[in-house]
Amino acid sequence: MTARTGLLDREVAAAMSALSAAAKRGLGDPALAELVVIRASQLNHCAFCLDMHLTLAREYGVSEQQLDLLAAWEEAEGVFDERERAALALTEAVTVLTDGFVPDAVYEKAAAHFAPGELAHLIGLIAAINNWNRVMVSRRIPPGGYTP
Amino acid sequence: MTIDTTTRIEATPSPTPYAPEPPARLEWAKHAPEVYKAMIRLDAAAKRGLDPKLYELVKIRASQINHCALCIDMHTKDALAAGESVERIVQLSAWEESRAFYTERELAALELTEAVTVLTDGFVPDEVYEKAAAHFEEAELAQLIAAIAVINAWNRFGVTCRMAPGHYRPGQHG
Repeated sequence: MTARTGLLDREVAAAMSALSAAAKRGLGDPALAELVVIRASQLNHCAFCLDMHLTLAREYGVSEQQLDLLAAWEEAEGVFDERERAALALTEAVTVLTDGFVPDAVYEKAAAHFAPGELAHLIGLIAAINNWNRVMVSRRIPPGGYTP
Repeated sequence: MTIDTTTRIEATPSPTPYAPEPPARLEWAKHAPEVYKAMIRLDAAAKRGLDPKLYELVKIRASQINHCALCIDMHTKDALAAGESVERIVQLSAWEESRAFYTERELAALELTEAVTVLTDGFVPDEVYEKAAAHFEEAELAQLIAAIAVINAWNRFGVTCRMAPGHYRPGQHG
């Protein structure tokens, strides 16, 4: 598979990286951040992003069981704690925006597990990975390009 | 975002009161100022080299698909302020059936906007990408893709935090 175009404006790329870094830093939970980012990348079918963030997740010590069951987290209760589940539900709602709004129940559950500052950064992280997913999928950037 | 929430601008008077405006869920920019700053930087970077009128059409269409009320408010007002016609803005949600309102280049950009915005339904089809590539040279197309991605990110903040529409003044964010 070859990329449709490898072009991406340098300042755009730098700004996207700064956005992701700011969101991740503010969330303060690198392992959870990877779960969120991987789940969004699954929904958006971003091969490059999945490859990259599965590598990072393993570096952060996210368990193989969590990575294996992430696509079915709702049915894997014992594998993800309530905080992770709240973050993943929010990730799905914010990613699949075209089907409807972010339901109150989903938002409130997230707000119960994350302080406003954490929540704002979590939302930022979900928006940022959705941004990357779009830039990578549209240009058809092949997976495997990421090296830690 | 510093938006005046005391008055709704240009709200049409109604003999029967409108439904109350729900409060925002979260003032995200206050809680994550570095994220907000990064979004502003990204927005500025992504729109470089793009025709501003075309970019407003793209932003409105993505915001319609993502149901972002705040973003629709902002970008329809910005488009009007930039000299866009009411007709072209109104027809935008049915552009496939109102093609004669737009140039082939704008249509290619709108089709790409939809494919890139509704990513969960499948990939960006080759024919959509190729049509866009026929109308935009490579670097410009990369900017267009980045711009579509950025409005998608803004839409996510607006919808998730339930930012209220109606308060935006054209040019407010410079």
